[in-house]
Amino acid sequence: MSQPKRNNEGFLENAWEWTPETASEIAREDDIDLENNHWEIISFLRGFYREHEMSPPSNRLFVKAVKEHLGEDKGNSIYLMRLFPGTPAKTACRIAGLPRPTNCL
Amino acid sequence: MMTLHILNKSPEHPRFRLCLEAVGDADQLLLIENAVLALSVEGIKLPGRIMALASDLDARGVSVDGSVDAIHYDGMVALAAAADRVISW
Amino acid sequence: MSVLIIIDQAPYGNWSGREALDMALSLAAFDQPVSLLFVGAGINWLRKQQNPAPIQQKGVNRNLAGATVFGIEELLADQDALQRYGLGAEDLLDGVAITHYDQDLLANYLHVVCQ
Repeated sequence: MSQPKRNNEGFLENAWEWTPETASEIAREDDIDLENNHWEIISFLRGFYREHEMSPPSNRLFVKAVKEHLGEDKGNSIYLMRLFPGTPAKTACRIAGLPRPTNCL
Repeated sequence: MMTLHILNKSPEHPRFRLCLEAVGDADQLLLIENAVLALSVEGIKLPGRIMALASDLDARGVSVDGSVDAIHYDGMVALAAAADRVISW
Repeated sequence: MSVLIIIDQAPYGNWSGREALDMALSLAAFDQPVSLLFVGAGINWLRKQQNPAPIQQKGVNRNLAGATVFGIEELLADQDALQRYGLGAEDLLDGVAITHYDQDLLANYLHVVCQ
């Protein structure tokens, strides 16, 4: 099966074309092996997008939303940074097939 | 609390009314850019003593009588500095 | 510091409302108390049933419902604007408080911003 179309930063053009295989493939490019902890965040992001049609706009708000949803243990930047290196919101949204977070903060 | 309201929308813009409703007795209203056009429209009731930016009046060929204070940029800065709060409409 | 951001433009026609929402989210990201007030044509942001997919846009109502997750404190709807557009509380998305736009309302905020 052909992979969904992506933009020059590696984000999916259409979030609805995403499948779990897409996630594994994008994660491989970042040398990330997806484990349960990753999938928990990915499924949170997918659900968030279904409901609100937006990515968490910034890294701080990504952390805030995870905290709200999964509690303090997971809603902190160190935890998320370990799972999704770089800028966690960007890395996680890319893997979860969401648009690029819009806000630089 | 003295609020300086800086309005730059023409009288036809919906925000023009929004601004006028927000101007309290202790507040000041400064018209700049297209808002100065309001001074050439009859029947618009502006609250209190009105100020307008002289360069914007000149640019649009709007002349005013003594009831309006035409001020310059330095005056605008002084007004903003003296206000407790500034709202740019 | 508390900030009130006023949205008086209808959704979808231009970007000004989106920019206002972005500003609100940026403040919320730094835990600054921020509220959004919808007046005039801006009231149409708050309608429950919006399907902008055919015009290739994202639903601002859904975005707004997400905004409260990020810590935006209040979504306020002006009573007069509701009346003008024939809307009642039941037509609005959840979590919106109905208020009346006047000087007393604005006096509650240290900063008032109109995008």
